[in-house]
Amino acid sequence: MPSAVAGYAPNLDKYLKSLKGQPLELSIENLVSLLKRRQIKGAEPCAVATAHIILQVVARSKWQNVDALLDNVSRVGRKLVTAAPTELVIGNIVRRVLGLIRDEAAEDRNEPQSEDPSDGHATPTDAVPNSTVAKQDSAGGYLNNSPGPQSRPGLIVSQSSVNIPKSLFHLLSASPPADSDHAPGSPFAGSGTSTPQHHKSSSSQVHALRSEVIDGIEEIKDEISQVDDQIAALADVQIHSGDYLLVHRPSPTVERFILRAAVKRKFTVLIVTEPPRKHLAEVQHASFRKKLSAAKITVVNILNGGLMAYMARVDKVILGAKAIVANGGVISDAGAAAIARAAKESGNAVIVLGGIYKLSPETPFGEDEVIEWADPSSYVDFADGQLVGSVDVRTAATEMVPADLIDTYVTNLGTHTRDHLSTLIADHYKPEDIDFHLWDDARR
Amino acid sequence: MSHKGKNSAGSSKGKKPTKSGAESKSEDVLQAVVLADSFQDRFRPFTVEKPRCLLPLANTPLIEYTLEFLAMNGVNEVYIYCGAHTDQVEDHINRSRWATTSRSSPFSVVQFVRVSDARSVGDVLRDMDKRSLVDGDFILVHGDLVSNIILDEALAAHRKRRETSAANIMTLVLRSGGLVEHRTKTNGITPVFAIDAKNQRCLHYDEISPLQSDHYITLDPAIPDELSTDFEVRADLIDAQIDICTPEVLALWSESFDYELPRKNFLHGVLKDWELNGKMIYAEVLEEGYAARASNLQMYSSISQDIISRWAAPFLPENNIIPSQKYTRLSNGAVIDNSVTLASDAKLSKSVVGRFTTIGAGSKITNCVIGKDCKIGSNVTLENSYLWNQVTIEDGAHISQSILADSAHVGEKSRIFSGSLLSYGVQIDKNITLQDGVVASTVTSSGAPATKNAKLLGDSTNAGVFYDSEDDELDEQDPSRLQKSLLYSLANLNISTSTISTLASAIDSDDEDDGIISEGATSTRSRLPSFASDDSAGRAGFHADAVHGLVDALRAETGDFDSAKLEFMGLRLANDASDHMMRKAVAAAFARRAAELLTPEHGSLEPSKAAEKALTARKGATKFIDEVGVGGGEAEQVEFVLQLQKALQYVKGVETPRAGILLAALLQQLYALDILEEEGILGWWKDARAVENETLTTLKEKSKVLVEWLENAEEEDDDDEEESDDE
Repeated sequence: MPSAVAGYAPNLDKYLKSLKGQPLELSIENLVSLLKRRQIKGAEPCAVATAHIILQVVARSKWQNVDALLDNVSRVGRKLVTAAPTELVIGNIVRRVLGLIRDEAAEDRNEPQSEDPSDGHATPTDAVPNSTVAKQDSAGGYLNNSPGPQSRPGLIVSQSSVNIPKSLFHLLSASPPADSDHAPGSPFAGSGTSTPQHHKSSSSQVHALRSEVIDGIEEIKDEISQVDDQIAALADVQIHSGDYLLVHRPSPTVERFILRAAVKRKFTVLIVTEPPRKHLAEVQHASFRKKLSAAKITVVNILNGGLMAYMARVDKVILGAKAIVANGGVISDAGAAAIARAAKESGNAVIVLGGIYKLSPETPFGEDEVIEWADPSSYVDFADGQLVGSVDVRTAATEMVPADLIDTYVTNLGTHTRDHLSTLIADHYKPEDIDFHLWDDARR
Repeated sequence: MSHKGKNSAGSSKGKKPTKSGAESKSEDVLQAVVLADSFQDRFRPFTVEKPRCLLPLANTPLIEYTLEFLAMNGVNEVYIYCGAHTDQVEDHINRSRWATTSRSSPFSVVQFVRVSDARSVGDVLRDMDKRSLVDGDFILVHGDLVSNIILDEALAAHRKRRETSAANIMTLVLRSGGLVEHRTKTNGITPVFAIDAKNQRCLHYDEISPLQSDHYITLDPAIPDELSTDFEVRADLIDAQIDICTPEVLALWSESFDYELPRKNFLHGVLKDWELNGKMIYAEVLEEGYAARASNLQMYSSISQDIISRWAAPFLPENNIIPSQKYTRLSNGAVIDNSVTLASDAKLSKSVVGRFTTIGAGSKITNCVIGKDCKIGSNVTLENSYLWNQVTIEDGAHISQSILADSAHVGEKSRIFSGSLLSYGVQIDKNITLQDGVVASTVTSSGAPATKNAKLLGDSTNAGVFYDSEDDELDEQDPSRLQKSLLYSLANLNISTSTISTLASAIDSDDEDDGIISEGATSTRSRLPSFASDDSAGRAGFHADAVHGLVDALRAETGDFDSAKLEFMGLRLANDASDHMMRKAVAAAFARRAAELLTPEHGSLEPSKAAEKALTARKGATKFIDEVGVGGGEAEQVEFVLQLQKALQYVKGVETPRAGILLAALLQQLYALDILEEEGILGWWKDARAVENETLTTLKEKSKVLVEWLENAEEEDDDDEEESDDE
């Protein structure tokens, strides 16, 4: 974004650049302000910013054990979620990281939950006693001969044979095996030897966990950046020669998807646009249209109002999702729901594109919770004093497309139906993290 | 201290790490000056106890909007002048997230500027200049600004212009407001900008008010003549007074020691004297975004409504910009805090309700902002009203179009209407009806406890009617009177109905200035002292004073002319008169004196004698004309002769042909005295402005002989040119 760099107003790029030099607290507060001011908005920028700041939290905040880390991450996550409650991806990324930490911790600790099956799905309140135990382990380890540290090393051995995929760092780190050799054999060994070893092990565990989680977050970041490509790779399956495709305010994901299909197939694209505003001189989606024409694809621009006339010809409607909620509803640019309904009435397929990171385990109670309202200027000119003074203009920036209007979801993992979404959610999020953003309110 | 724009490579960051930001004031640090005190009292009685910038607008202190606006634009260093109630403002900011000690501030510097005995914005800015706190481009805003405009483009344009010329000192950021009535435009005072259509240079600024008898503005004829051929005069702009300035702006404030207001005095003055100061100011007129200043109660109300209607997005209550807030938006357009207790049959629409407020059964609330910890009883009706914190409204009360400050208490079934203001802690008894903008306060304007007014406010009241002693001092027709109430009303005001004409007056304004002195025929257009005193009339005033002073000095038989010269120069400095105006005054003075000598009372001298006496009788007078009146090359000489000619057309008691002879005599004298050269006189002879009307032509004709003689003298050997030799 060369044009944006010249200015002073903060944006995502500048924010990411500023991360290194700033204290963590300041970075978090800055991001919260940016989200509140909507200077970072949209699914992808929000996801990228969240991944970056959570990475900073993992790398730079103070934590000695897994629970403290989980606490730090979810505390920051809550702040971000409340700053922009309509951007569901923020919560998704935080949940992914929380899940990642739990996975890594489970590997390191040999699944402490598995010692006590009843504790398996720990409720948030259960996490507190857990953490106190862990603290004692690290601080006064040799005085406290709780069964925890004794049993853990033993299980690591068994676990490592089962659990094949381990990070390189984990394999190289020498302390856990060393621990497993000595600790069971000499639980009451002289304090002079065991104490440093325990410290070494816990600090190196923290270190290992830290770098594993950071690696995991980097993977999430990569995933976000590759989503458009991966989705576009599925275009050939969905788009066929001779199709009439209808797109609504195409997002970069949708544009990539269609342009990829245009390499092999010949079809017609209808772009639904908003009525032009007087001071926006340039044609909407001009660059997209240019690229399509270069690929010899016929492009038709139609206004939202004249949509129904074309619907009979249309074969497929392709919508870009801002977020996909658990029941299959899709949050998209305002206007998409009407198109989806029209398509349904005409029996056309509605295909939704969106990265897996946009799939949220939440199901909102009502549309209001997740809809972003814009200022009225897209429909009414502020200079029109009479309208400003006497008319209440409500402009929704996004709206919810009901699940029953959607036929197919295309994510970077493949093509799914609505029934498949719950499996995807279960794969990506831990059940205990789903409501992480509500804890704060519940505790008060 | 170089504040030139720099190459784009270094400008990558708007934000800098906190540590280094304070030390190296590198060029890509954006600075801002916030004037948190406006030196006005339009929010009285609320500002008696609290500064304006801390008054809540949509339950958020005004200064928060301003600082958010600055943070949004990547400002790094903020200098705040607090003024009245300095302690409260400083305390508020020091305890907020803006304080640099809070570790979460987006600013690297938040500094309070204290100026003792500042009495106007001008004093503050002059003091800022002395301290040289700002050293690069900075944004000058007021502490009551609500805006969501991203200034990047305006800043880039400003910087580009500055690179072209250091004389481009300032950019005004304005929002177009449409031609029709608009609630967010200031009532009472309409700013008028003349802006070049091509390069956006601001050419003229004026303010008009309904209280003026003349609904026109006077444009300097030099604007169409010299500055621009294609310009717009716009009265539709919303001016939130967001200025992008260079430090030269502060220097300019220092030069003009009597400027007080940033617009009416400074902008108007600087634009008027463009010849003298050589500075240029530009205006960016935006078609998008929101910007307004809560500069008075009417604007306070308008901006509150704009926020409820979401125009100021993202600075809306439901975005919870302030960390402690927890508002959510309901589907009916109301925005309420999570902790609000709302009776199930209470009707709430287009309103904002703060934390822990309870609203009783059957109450109807429309277009209101209600603060935190308020208690609204049952069957209460609230319309278009603003309730601050801890307000108690008992059952059955009806309040519309009013502001109730913190801890106000309204008794059962009381009715409060149309523009009433209840200040802090005011208690209203039950069954009271307040109409027509009653202003109740527990303190007087000086802060002393008010005397109770039980008759109007009920027996249990603790307040009296607020009476601002300063109102008396205001001129009857001062437009700021119109802005003192919550409701804008022109009723009970004597408003003249002169026709609106801007262009006509602009064209003949040049003659008119002379006319004011001699004709006396322009009485229908006489200006109001309150408005015109500082500027346009100031110009005419300068002319009149200067001419009178000089003529008196010329009449005197003895004495040194140097003192007259000194007086004249003093007058010039005080009025910031341009060279053009000086030349005009000198020419008019000598022309009048010479014409006077022709009349019987002064000896009925022959024109040539009169001219000689007027110019040479007093020692030093000729030198004065040479230096001050003419002082320059051919263009200035032409100008001077032109002014002499124009001055002579208005002199009384001398018929025009004779005045023409006098003009010729004067020119001859001036030529003989080496003040004017051939080029000057010949230049005037050819100038189209010399024959603008009949009188001028008649005056000019008489100089023909002189001009021909000059031409002959100059081009003796060129026979072809001497066509009119036969006369």
